[in-house]
This record gives sequence, structure tokens and C-alpha cells, in this order.
Amino acid sequence: MGRYIVRRLLQMFLVLFVVSLLTFATMRAVPGGPFSTEKNLPPRALAQLEAKYNLDEPLYMQYLHYMGDIAIPRLTENRLPPSVLNDYLINIYIPGIDRTLRWMNFGPSYKSVSQTVNSIIKSTLPVSATLGTGALIVAVFIGIPAGVIAALKRNTRWDYAAMSVAIIGVSVPVIISGPILRYVFGVQLKWLPPTGWGSFEHMIMPAFALGFAESARLARLTRASLLQVLNEDYIRTARAKGLHERIVIGIHALKNAMIPVVTTLGPLFAFLATGSFVAELIFGIPGMGKFFVVSITNRDYPVIMGTTLLLATFVILANLFVDLVYVWLDPRIQYS
Amino acid sequence: MSGKFARFVSLALVVVLVLSFAASTITAQEGKKVLIDANALGASDVPTLDPSLATDTSSIQVLIETNPGLTRTNEITLVTEPGMATWEVSEDGLVYTFSILPEVPWVKYNPETDAVEQVLDADGNPRYVTAEDFAFGIRRSIGGQLGSYYGGIMAGWVLNGKEVYDGTKPVEELGVKALDTYTLEITATQPAAFLSSIFGMWQAYAQPAWVIEEAGDLWTEPEYFQGYGPYTLKDWVHGESVTLIKNPFWPGTDTIPVATIDEVRMLILDQSASLANFEAGTADIAQVPLADLDRIRADATLSEALYIGPSGCTYIYGINTAKPPVDDVRVRRALSMTVNRQALIDNVLKGGQTPAYFFSREDILAAAPKAADYPQYAISEDVDAAKALLQEYLDERGITLEQMEPITLMHNESEGHARIAQAIQQMWTENLGINVTIQTQEWGTYLETIKNETSAPQVFRYGWCLDYTDTHNFLYDVFHSSVRELGISWHDENAQRFDQLVEQAMSETDLQKRTDLYAEAEYLLTNASAAVIPIYFYTNLNMTQPWVTRTYSHFGQQYYEKWDIDLAAKP
Repeated sequence: MGRYIVRRLLQMFLVLFVVSLLTFATMRAVPGGPFSTEKNLPPRALAQLEAKYNLDEPLYMQYLHYMGDIAIPRLTENRLPPSVLNDYLINIYIPGIDRTLRWMNFGPSYKSVSQTVNSIIKSTLPVSATLGTGALIVAVFIGIPAGVIAALKRNTRWDYAAMSVAIIGVSVPVIISGPILRYVFGVQLKWLPPTGWGSFEHMIMPAFALGFAESARLARLTRASLLQVLNEDYIRTARAKGLHERIVIGIHALKNAMIPVVTTLGPLFAFLATGSFVAELIFGIPGMGKFFVVSITNRDYPVIMGTTLLLATFVILANLFVDLVYVWLDPRIQYS
Repeated sequence: MSGKFARFVSLALVVVLVLSFAASTITAQEGKKVLIDANALGASDVPTLDPSLATDTSSIQVLIETNPGLTRTNEITLVTEPGMATWEVSEDGLVYTFSILPEVPWVKYNPETDAVEQVLDADGNPRYVTAEDFAFGIRRSIGGQLGSYYGGIMAGWVLNGKEVYDGTKPVEELGVKALDTYTLEITATQPAAFLSSIFGMWQAYAQPAWVIEEAGDLWTEPEYFQGYGPYTLKDWVHGESVTLIKNPFWPGTDTIPVATIDEVRMLILDQSASLANFEAGTADIAQVPLADLDRIRADATLSEALYIGPSGCTYIYGINTAKPPVDDVRVRRALSMTVNRQALIDNVLKGGQTPAYFFSREDILAAAPKAADYPQYAISEDVDAAKALLQEYLDERGITLEQMEPITLMHNESEGHARIAQAIQQMWTENLGINVTIQTQEWGTYLETIKNETSAPQVFRYGWCLDYTDTHNFLYDVFHSSVRELGISWHDENAQRFDQLVEQAMSETDLQKRTDLYAEAEYLLTNASAAVIPIYFYTNLNMTQPWVTRTYSHFGQQYYEKWDIDLAAKP
């Protein structure tokens, strides 16, 4: 198992390299530049900015410089200007030689002048991850029980009710449900703050809006998966052995039915945790999604690269976690 | 086993969730006057608080309060007033001598004491804002090699500015000099009526050299930021809000009084979220989405809070005069003459906008000609005359309307721009019978497309917002051949005459003569050559709670130190 994990982690770096190359090539192929505005920047100013950010170099050199800043650790003096300290994601002080090992410089933001990609990630990722966790809790705690009930009470009012709610959830995206929630609970009833971030109350509506849409998908998947499992021979065997129905469902059926559900949960968490642009815009949340989308419009190359690589890392790690959960769910699965 | 595991995972997730909020609670402070403005910053983070690099309205809104300029534009009368300085101009109009308000301290917010404190120098003495601080700011904007857009604008007006900006002369030769602690001298390249306004712009604000040296690009973060105005920076949560706190050390002047509101929290929200906060009572000032305007007008309480006033921008359609059929002036004029501007405002925009027949905003710019005062110059809306012009063009080319090249009308992605484009497409199709195709592009791509004569379509959306309240900023700064902000050439003989007129108007001191010169320039631009189609003058729509007493700025930025909150009236 240990060797398997190490191998997967090594593969991750290869995948991230390919993602970085594709992202770099794609964003440079798109017309427009980071310093294009409605007003024409004088040629001299444009040249100064391009020189500052190495954009006057050949493309391949720009890529190599960028990847070098991310991948190659640097042993630097301990006392550096604060703006430099902000550049690196990892700073390890080595007391013996009074030096600091600095690693992972994702570059500056072209548009948010006082910020680096690292400082953007540091300030927005916790927000998005918190919201994503909340949304996942909502999705799991509504979706899975609803799916289980619908499967166990197949073709009854319970089933129809659960699936009707699920269809509503799938059909109504956050861009619709968000403003409705905000208007009802924020504006009319005044139970919750309509927008903002910083307290549990602020999180309820966006987490529910995001989570409910996902819970609907989970409910449908759980129902379908559980129905399939309930028709398996080993379930009939378990019942024939006289096991209590709760044991049959809880231990034998549910664990196996969860495999496809867990498969979706990993990437789902990765996407939720790295920011939902729509939810952040509707509820005024300072998360990563907003920065990511705005960075594309602004052609803020380092921010696009940094956030894309972060999302890719999250997805890869989430998939690895899912693969490890498989082993617990189904002992027949072996990684050797 | 599975139940235990599930319970453990659930518990862990809840704990993570609760802990993540532990360090971020917001506490209300009793008795303080705190204004929540959900209108000032828009939906995106403030790009920068560096005066040398600021180009957008939200950055400037913050800076105008924390680091007032040498001069200030009155938000109602639009007259240039003393800001941090009074000034005298030499007889030849070239030398501006600014007497800076003495002993105004640099300040900084200290989060540990929750108070604004004076900044001390190495000897423990208060640092006061000096002429050298302003000189440093100007030198840094023009000669700092920062890629400063507005440094480039100012460079044209300060002696040796262009050479310093281009790096051909050292920054020491810039015509900016601190004569003594509180006297600044700026030598201009040529006299102009609006120079006092330009020298008061943000790229010429005083800047703290010692902080910039220490913190580099981080100097604008709250941890380092230093200002001197009626407010200073308390907090900046990127992507969420900027909070200003009253500066108790600001002495107050006739034009920039001491603030009565203790804190101004500006929220970064889109229009719809902004209005939701207003209706929930969690914002004092809000934006108005166009979609909600009818509902607000119909509501007795909300309509009371609604304000519609002028803003600083003009909405136009640019024309690529190199592309047929709009390479012919008759076709361009026909297009402009068949835009029913008032119908567009009444049926599509609905925000009290003003129809534009000239490019310059006639309501808020110095020396701006009003189209109504120059009927011989303004383009008229005349469908029959437009049809005749188009027919004349077709006859000359020996082609029919069907054989004429189709016209592409392009705009960047936006629901509002789309509605305007569809309405105008309909006007052109119905009135002239021409084939108009609408294309949209994502913002970054759009900018690339419209600024290149080869790729630009025949007609495209464009807008211009003022930087300073003079017509020069609209006509010279956008359409003079040395600038060409649109990036599209305007080649005919009228373009040369236009250049001469706006150059002449620049140094003309008689207001009426200047206005006449600009009127003739407008005639050439919007009528004789019809190089652009003015559509409408934007309005500023916002909502204000009844407990707020305020002024309404006519050019964008607000002066919060002139506002007040009636705490007794606030629920």
C-alpha cells in the first residue's frame, strides 16, 4: 500500500507538469494580454511592465522561468524584504546556517499589485475550503439518506418525494437558488445576512445552495447504486441467514453501494473546496472562485496557472483518497 | 464499525467547520457611526492602492480619501478647489506654486490599539506631509519605470516629463521642485486651463518613500499603508471589503472638512447582492441593477431612496472607417441619424440617461459644448435624410442595398450591451433596410479586436469616463491623432482640422471661445465625419438609506467626510 501511494504521488508530478504545459499554452493562445485596457497604455509603460514580469522573453523561457520558480527550492538569506517573503509558499528556517529554504513561488499577480499568487491562495483557499466542506456536509447528509430511503421504499410516496426533490435540486442551479435564498432568508425574513463572510450564519445559505444541488445528484446515484446492490445474490444470502434487516442494509448493502458514490465525492470536494464563482458572487464571499474567474478575464497568467495547478492537485489527491477508501469499502480491492 | 467511522467523519467535518470561523468574528461597536457602502467598489477586488498605478474608479475612491491631492474637484460644482494646497500660477501660465497645508501628519492605523496613530521618523518626531512627499509621488509616477498609465498622462504636462517617462532624461530633470518644506513648484510644458485639475490627480498624490522602500509592492497593504487624509486605511480584505477609518489628526479645511462618520466599510459586491443588502438593512448605500429599476420605482419606500444623477461616462459606438461600407461618411452619418436615442433610453435603458449627440459630456465638463446650443453642429435624428444619404452612396457605387457589404456590430459580453445592440440593430434594419450582424466577444479578446484596424468590425461598442473635469480629457485625450485611444485611425481631412481645434482650445483662456472651439471639433468628429456615434450619457443610480445625509458626486468618487449618519433614526 505504501509503495502504491508513493507511486501515485510521483505520477501526480507528471500530471501536474502536463497540466501546467497545457494551461500555459492555452492561456497564451487566447487573444488579449494582461495589460490590455480600454485606455491605451503608452508603449514605454507596456515595455516596462513586460520587462518587470519577464514577458519580453521568448515563451519557452517564460515557461521555464515560471516552472523553475515553483519547482526549485532556494536557500536564501533569512532577512529579506517583506515583499519577497510573500512570494514563497513554503519557508523553512534552518537555524544552523541562519538561512531559509524557500520553495514554490507561483509568481506575482499582474492585476492585484500588492498580492502574489501565494498570498491570494493563502487568503482565499481557507474560505473556499470552509464553504466547500459545508456544502459537502449538506450534500452528504441530505443526498445519501434521501437516496437510501428512496431505494428502500422503492415506488412508494417516499421514493417519489425524494426523487422529486432531487430533480428540483438538479434542475435549479445555484445561480437561481442562490438569489432566491438570499431574498427569502436575507431580505424578507432577515434571519441570515444576505452576503458576506466571517460567521457561521454567513455560511448557511451558500453552503445550502451549493450542497443542495449536489445532494440531488448524490441522492439519485445512491438510490440507483443501492437498488442494484439489493438485487445481488449475497444480499439474498444474508437475509436467508436470518440477519437483521438493519445489518443487511447497513453493513452488506450500503458499503458496496457507496463505491460509486464515494467515487464522485472526491472530485466533488476538490471542486467545491477550490471555489464556486457563482456562489461567491451571489453571496459576496472572498473565495478562490472569484479570483480565478476574474484572472481569466484579466489574463492574469500567474493567477490562472497557480489556481489551475492547485485545483489539479486537489483533484489528484482527492482521487487518491477515494482509491484508498475503496479498500476499506471492499476488501477484495488490492493495490499491489 | 461503519457507523462509528461515519460518526467520526461527520464530527470531524463539523469541528473543522466551527474552528475555521473561530478567528473571524465580527463585533459591532456601539455608538460609532459606521457607514456600509455597497456601491463604491463593484464586484471585483480593488486592484491597487498605489497612486502611481491606480487606473480604476474603486482604487481612486479609496485613495481620494486617504491621500488627498494638491487640488480637488468639488463633487457638485465640479470646480477645482484647494485640496492639500492652495496655488498660484505665473503670468505665462507655466509655473504652478503650491503652498501645502502645514503640519498635516502622516498616519497609520494600529490594529493592536484600534486607533489611528501618527507616523514617527527615526528620531521619534511626527512625519508631516511635505512638498518633497508630493515631488516624490510625481517623480515616481513619471520616472519610476513602473509602467504607470497616468504617469504617462501627466508626463506630457510637466517640463521634461516625456523624456523622463521615456528614460531619455534623468528623473532629476523633471520640472518638479520642493522649494521648501511646504512649497512645491511644478513647471508645465505649456499653459492650459485645466492644469490645476491635472496636478491634483492621484498619480501626483504624496507618497511615503520610507514605506515603499521598506515594503516594496506590499506597501499598500493595511500592515504598511500610511496616509494623511480625512480617512485612512483600516482594513482591506481582498475580494470582500475595504474599511476606512476617520483620521483624528486631519485638521480639516473649507474644502475637506473633518469627518463625522467614524468608519466607512466599502463592500465588494455585484449590483444584485448590493441591493439585497440595502433591502435587508445591512447596507446604507447600494447600486441599482437595471432589472430592479421598475420595481424600485413602483415601491413607495424604495423609490424615496433612489437617486439618479449624472456620472462621468459617455456610451458610444466606434466606427472602423477603414472598412466598407462605413469607410464612406454618408453611410456613417446615416447610421448615426437613425439611432433613436430617446426611444432607446425610454424602452431599453430606463435609467434616466441623457441622449448624446456630442461625445463630450455636456453636463459636467468645463468648456463642454451643449448640443442644444449648437444645433448647426449636432447630428440630427432624421430617418428620411439618412435614407437619402444611403441611397446617394449606393447610386454612386452602382450597387443595390442587398449588394452592400453587411455591417457587423460588436460588443463585449454583457446583457446590457446586448440589449442596446439589439435595439439599434432593429433601428438600422427597419429604417435603412441594411443587414446588421451582432457579434460578441469576451472582454480580453474584444479589446484586442477593436484596437486593430484589420480585425475591428465596422461598428463596435466603446465608452469613455472622465479623468478630470475638462473637455480636453474627452476630445484631445481620446481623438487627437497623437493619442488615438480607440486605436482606430480617422483619416479624412476633417481629422487634421480637428487636431488644430483641440490644440487651440487647450491654451485658450476665454471659456466661451474654448467652448466654441470644442463645439466645432465635436461637429467634425460626430457629424461632418461621423467617426463615432454618440449614444447616451451614463447616469449614476444608487440607493441611500434615509438616515444618511450625503452629497451626490457628479463624477464618480464620493467625499465621505461631507456625509453624516443620524444614529437616532437608524433602526
